[in-house]
Amino acid sequence: MQILRRIVVPALAISLIAGSYATGHAENVKIGNIIPLSGPSATLGQQGKAAREMAVEEINAAGGIKSLGGAKFELVFADSESKPEKGVAEAERLINTEKVNVLTGCWNSAVTYPTTAVAERYGIPFVVPVSVSDKITDQGFKTVFRIAAKDSWWTRDQFAFLKDMEKEFGTKVERLAFVYENGDWGKGFAGQWKKLAEAGGYKVVLDEPYPSTATDLSPVVQKIRRAKPDVLLLVSNAADAILLTNTLADYKVKLKAIIASGGGHADPSFLKTTGKNAQYLFDIVEWETDVNKPGAKEANDKYKAKYGQNLTGEAVDAYVAMYVLKDALERAASLDPEKIREALAATNLSSGPGMIVGYDSVKFDKTGQNENASLVMVQVNDTGKGLERITIWPKSARRAGYTPVFPMPNK
Amino acid sequence: MYYIIEDTINGILMGSIYGLTAMGLTIIFGVLKVVNFAHGSMLMVGMYLAYWAVTLSGMHPYLAIVLVAPAMFLFGYTLQNFVIKPIFIAEKNVREPLTVIIVTTGIWYILDNLTLLIFGPQYRSLADNPLNGQMLEIGEMFISVPKLYGCITAVITALGVYWFFQKTDMGRAIRATSMDREAASLMGINQYKIYNVAFGIGAATAGIAAVTLVPFYNVFPTVGVLFDIKGFIIVVLGGLGSIGGALAGGIIIGIIESVGPQFMTATWTEAIVYGLFLVVLFVKPSGLFGQKHDW
Repeated sequence: MQILRRIVVPALAISLIAGSYATGHAENVKIGNIIPLSGPSATLGQQGKAAREMAVEEINAAGGIKSLGGAKFELVFADSESKPEKGVAEAERLINTEKVNVLTGCWNSAVTYPTTAVAERYGIPFVVPVSVSDKITDQGFKTVFRIAAKDSWWTRDQFAFLKDMEKEFGTKVERLAFVYENGDWGKGFAGQWKKLAEAGGYKVVLDEPYPSTATDLSPVVQKIRRAKPDVLLLVSNAADAILLTNTLADYKVKLKAIIASGGGHADPSFLKTTGKNAQYLFDIVEWETDVNKPGAKEANDKYKAKYGQNLTGEAVDAYVAMYVLKDALERAASLDPEKIREALAATNLSSGPGMIVGYDSVKFDKTGQNENASLVMVQVNDTGKGLERITIWPKSARRAGYTPVFPMPNK
Repeated sequence: MYYIIEDTINGILMGSIYGLTAMGLTIIFGVLKVVNFAHGSMLMVGMYLAYWAVTLSGMHPYLAIVLVAPAMFLFGYTLQNFVIKPIFIAEKNVREPLTVIIVTTGIWYILDNLTLLIFGPQYRSLADNPLNGQMLEIGEMFISVPKLYGCITAVITALGVYWFFQKTDMGRAIRATSMDREAASLMGINQYKIYNVAFGIGAATAGIAAVTLVPFYNVFPTVGVLFDIKGFIIVVLGGLGSIGGALAGGIIIGIIESVGPQFMTATWTEAIVYGLFLVVLFVKPSGLFGQKHDW
């Protein structure tokens, strides 16, 4: 017995150590996600969680990271409650206690901004699927990578779209009117529009901020009618978007196009309450379910079956972020944060199951911003199935068989 | 010049509808001496009633008055009788029962959130109604038909309520209570019943206002708040307790809102409306048509 014990026990111990060593090689990749799971942005945080889980399920089912011996993705979620200080504390905890390899988050720009600084200090790569504030990638950080388009690109793309439309349909646009809610969001957009209009050689005939709480918008609509613009650019919350659209139709205001900026115009009840009055409206969004990309429809169907709603732009960004990480880890072949960071910086992902975005590839510039990220433009129209939002721009993402209506015919 | 005429007309039309939304507030204050913070929510309830009545039956939107006004009267009557009256009785000896104001604030939150719970945050509108988007086109001038209907309804309602207060026994009793509740009680008037009726009438006018709004405005759970703030300004401007004053105050604000933006941005006109509110409070605290004597 004594002999047996002397031989067997150390042998067992050695085999145990060896065993643990072997599994250590196929160690899981721990991804820390700081998102608002409760509080005012909870519904958006939950969408981000669902999208990440769906992507990780697919990646793990397909064999994980092959260059790391089939390592699986393991998601660790932390609730930011949309609070910056909570985001910072959770980042510290995820890095020091949970020992995550990568961080993602945080949806609210105000949370993402200070939280990325924590990751930078520890040198942990931080993938930001969507937080639009420009300053997040303007900090000169090495570890921050953002998938979504930044704030200033929304207006840039609205003007790029307008130029493309003018070229495609041979219609000249000269006079622009800016009408926007008088909060931070509207004023920010209007400031950028002014610069873009000047650079594009347009004439601004009306620049009108209005309170979103207005109970009557016909005075504003009268101003638009009298200024006789070719194109009207809008930033509106929900109630005012509906009121403006209906009042514009009531006063039979003649315009070549109306270009909205998401928000109220993308609200689910917008089309129901405006009906035909919203026909031919253009709206800029991050993503639309009919985007003409391989796998987009399947991904949306799967998501809808699982979580009961359509994929949103934010959810798609989170979904794509997981595939971007998979691609980077595959090339890094290591869990060393610096190696992962280098691989992320060299990302050029143009195909594969995750690429359901409207643009062609994910590629980060020096600041960590996905330089190809763009938005999509939709047009509200009826193709026989009732009014719907149809993706029309960029042209590569346009719904097959649909020709945009520009300029808007008189109703 | 021509633009100013067009805008003034729109201002008068929209303003008289504002006046109608605030009329109940001024009636209830005149009698109960209580600012009803739930007034906007009563307007919202009326809008949902009108919306569903028209949507489910397909009737003309203005026909809904027949249903909504009595329903809202009952709603206001019961609300006062079961929720507010007990507080009044408990605070019988207090000249200005503050707790009642707090109770009406509570009712406001409960109604808005109940609606949110039942109907969700969605915006609804009567997209297919015969008044939707109707415009009188006189040359280049546009006059909104649903607003014109609303203006006529507002004037008729104001005249009706005025006649009721002047000519009927109940109206006289209400006026007596509003002048001096103790003296009225001594004359054999049941002041709590008068409060119930006054609250009911206030709610009914909110119901009528709701019917005029539904053909061209959205229905959503917090819609009352937008009209509430405007209502307070209108009522103070016109004089608390004055029915004609509410209409006049509404029209003044409507004209400022409609003509103002031609000279400045719509954001500034909002500032002017609130500025006017402060000026009236400084210069003539009883409002343009309010009674001078202390309540």
